[in-house]
Amino acid sequence: MAEEKSLSDITAQNSATRQWVTFRLDNETYGIGVLRVREVLRMTDITPVPGAPASVEGIINLRGVVVTIVDGRRHFSLSPKAVDQDTRIIIVDLDDESMVGIVVDSVSVVVDLADTDIDLVSGVGSDDSSKYIHGVANRNDDLLILIDLDKLFDKSDLSIEGSDDLF
Amino acid sequence: MSSDFDDELVQDFIVEAGEIHEQLSEQLVDLEHHPDDMELLNAIFRGFHTIKGGAGFLNFGNLVDVCHRAEDVFNLLRQGDRSVDPAMMDAFLKVVDLLGTHFEEIQEGDDLTAPDPALLKFLEQLSQPGGMESTSVSVEAPPVIEAKSSVSGLSAEGPDELSDDEFEGLLDSLHGEGPIAGIQESTPAALSSSSAADNASMDQMTEAEFEGLLDQLHGDDPVGENVEEAEATSSEVVDVEADIAVLDEPVAAEEDSAGSSAISNDEFEALLGELQMTSAQQHDLPIAASLSVESTMPPPVAMPAGGGLADKPSGGGAATGAAGAGAGGGGGGGGGGGAGAGGGGGKKKKSAGSGRGESTVRVDTRRLDEIMNLVGELVLVRNRLSTLKTDMGDDDASRAIANLDHVTTDLQNAVMETRMQPIKKVFGRFPRVVRDLARTLHKEVALELVGEETDLDKNLVEALADPLVHLVRNAVDHGIEAPDVRVAAGKARGGRIVLSAEQEGDHILLTITDDGAGMDADVLRRKAVEKGLMDMESAGQMDDRSAFALIFMPGFSTKQEISDVSGRGVGMDVVKNNIMRLNGSVEVDSYYGKGSTISIRVPLTLAILPTLMVAVGDRSYAIPLASVIEIFNLEDAQLNVLDGQTMVRTRGKALPMFYLRNLFTTLTESDPAQQRVVIVEVGSKKVGFVVDQVNGQEEVVIKPLGTLLHGMAGYAGATITGDGRIALILDIPSLMDLHA
Repeated sequence: MAEEKSLSDITAQNSATRQWVTFRLDNETYGIGVLRVREVLRMTDITPVPGAPASVEGIINLRGVVVTIVDGRRHFSLSPKAVDQDTRIIIVDLDDESMVGIVVDSVSVVVDLADTDIDLVSGVGSDDSSKYIHGVANRNDDLLILIDLDKLFDKSDLSIEGSDDLF
Repeated sequence: MSSDFDDELVQDFIVEAGEIHEQLSEQLVDLEHHPDDMELLNAIFRGFHTIKGGAGFLNFGNLVDVCHRAEDVFNLLRQGDRSVDPAMMDAFLKVVDLLGTHFEEIQEGDDLTAPDPALLKFLEQLSQPGGMESTSVSVEAPPVIEAKSSVSGLSAEGPDELSDDEFEGLLDSLHGEGPIAGIQESTPAALSSSSAADNASMDQMTEAEFEGLLDQLHGDDPVGENVEEAEATSSEVVDVEADIAVLDEPVAAEEDSAGSSAISNDEFEALLGELQMTSAQQHDLPIAASLSVESTMPPPVAMPAGGGLADKPSGGGAATGAAGAGAGGGGGGGGGGGAGAGGGGGKKKKSAGSGRGESTVRVDTRRLDEIMNLVGELVLVRNRLSTLKTDMGDDDASRAIANLDHVTTDLQNAVMETRMQPIKKVFGRFPRVVRDLARTLHKEVALELVGEETDLDKNLVEALADPLVHLVRNAVDHGIEAPDVRVAAGKARGGRIVLSAEQEGDHILLTITDDGAGMDADVLRRKAVEKGLMDMESAGQMDDRSAFALIFMPGFSTKQEISDVSGRGVGMDVVKNNIMRLNGSVEVDSYYGKGSTISIRVPLTLAILPTLMVAVGDRSYAIPLASVIEIFNLEDAQLNVLDGQTMVRTRGKALPMFYLRNLFTTLTESDPAQQRVVIVEVGSKKVGFVVDQVNGQEEVVIKPLGTLLHGMAGYAGATITGDGRIALILDIPSLMDLHA
């Protein structure tokens, strides 16, 4: 049974409001803290890197910096989808000062959420992707899944696969 | 706000103290080989003192404690009350290590580790002059003073300000012969102003004098203090009747205190004659002598000193006189002033000179990296324009672009140079590494460093540090034999390791040569067979060079790593990989029984790489030109299949060949007529790669692969090509390792 900490127990001082950039993957809406989002790009040519981990689409040139692009769908173990006009790449900052881009189906609005609106969850769901979830929030009858970026790209999880099969 | 300020202070402290700390290690090891080097003793003392000062200001109690104790011991050392022995040295090195830990802790904002009480106690004991040897040393034993070191500060220049009482006191404490020689040397040294003013080894300077000396060294009071110091020493010197030769020997030098004199007897007599006050005379003489002796002192300064001596010091009694003499120019008197001035002038000149030569600006290396990046971008844009130039056909534009080309190249070079650092930065840590290891293994090893001034890109310097350390340790560990073994083999007891750096065109050549046991190629061949790395036949066919190269294979070494290399995953194979990653190469040569030489070559620059641009499928890839040795048409190639592996024959050899399009899972069709075989070589291994097209040479800027891909085998990075697209830069060594 999933453990849920209700934030209503949290003292009033913690009712800060934060902004989250929301995007869609499949039928779910996800959110990333706005401070971590550097920019949102339209889909562009991604150079594949043979031998890279499966969820890595490839790399792009972002004004002189080489940025790794990850396929959001594959990362969340969703089936791939054809690129369309709504597809976007969200460039985010990781805590080691590097950047990474995530391909998503579409990007929507930036929402304000009070911390008290967020339910911190842990261990929801059985697969690994739940590790990346910081919490969930309800907004207009939509469940917003908030991502913990650092856990999402925790290097120890994404070990560079030996390119044995490739080479 | 105030915390920002504090942070800045702390940061500054860390940077400066860090620099001193770096030098301390080196200086301490050097000290062990030259235990009486006064300059060294003073420099080290100053180092601890300065760090202590800063630490005190910032309230780093534990740091202050340990520096203070070390400082005390060094004070004794400089005064000659003690001399360095291995146990003491170990303690000092522990202190240095502790300082390093403290600096890290300060950076992290952690509390400072309390120093080991046993260490503090040991240092305290050492700093009690009560030690048997100390008294004898300061008093009777001549040896303490190092001729050359004495050079220090006694600068005696300028009017002395030693009170009569102090002077008398100094006189009284004078004892041994040795000191004189030393002192003399020191005084001149003082003149030269550089010194640590530490003739001290003989002296029993008071704390005040010492502080004064320090201040002087730091430029506060060029004359006064020195004079005091000079006096102190001179007083000691005075009593000694020992030959004082120096007067006309500018170099303080080597003499060992015991009666090695700096002044010649004649000069001494002459000086004596000139001086009115007997004690003063005595003092003066040595001082004068020392003044003239001043090794570092430029001759002109020495002269005035001598002249100054002639002027009777007029200031206060003997003290003054002595001071004058000590001051190298007569105390109070014009001569003294002259000498002092000369000395002071010399000193000023020295600092002025250094001022001129060393106007520097501290720049955060990140800024330099940014600039490098931007220059790299400029290079890429230039490449793009060059490509477009040919299409444009506009003469004016073409000329302008050609100009841009030149300027960009120059800019590139200039920026490279800003990042150059002498390899000394890395070499600096080796004396200690060798010393510690040799001690642990009970071997005697002398380390020689050559070419310390060779410049390298900063990143290279840092990247080479670990591999070099490992190789040097190896040389001490596996190369140099135990003393008995060496003697039995007819060699000198102590082994010799030479670490040298020199520039070879656009490469840096680093060599580590030892005169140790060398390697037996046959033993290596056998081991290779035993470990299943190859069969008997191939092993037999391998030439010696290739056999030696076997040591770089993972898991090859059987020797236990006794030294502390844990946590870094270091092994010869890692060393080789690290060097390869720098686009460098490493080779070993050895003479069984005589020694080995490891040669490392790395290109001078890391960031911009000449490459061969190739196409595989519809993507471009860059192959570092340095690895490419041959290119020919696939159509004309002679192929065979051996054990399932396609081989291509070229220049009498059959080499394994791989289709890159298969490796990169390319979907598009290829045109056989365009396909080329690119033969690459890394070390002694050669392999052929088939590409769909060869597009010529291009100088590219290496961009590191980002998150998640960093360190991936097969790629050295990526670059933006002239047409704006991304080309992956292949890392040939790792690519080869994955197959061959």
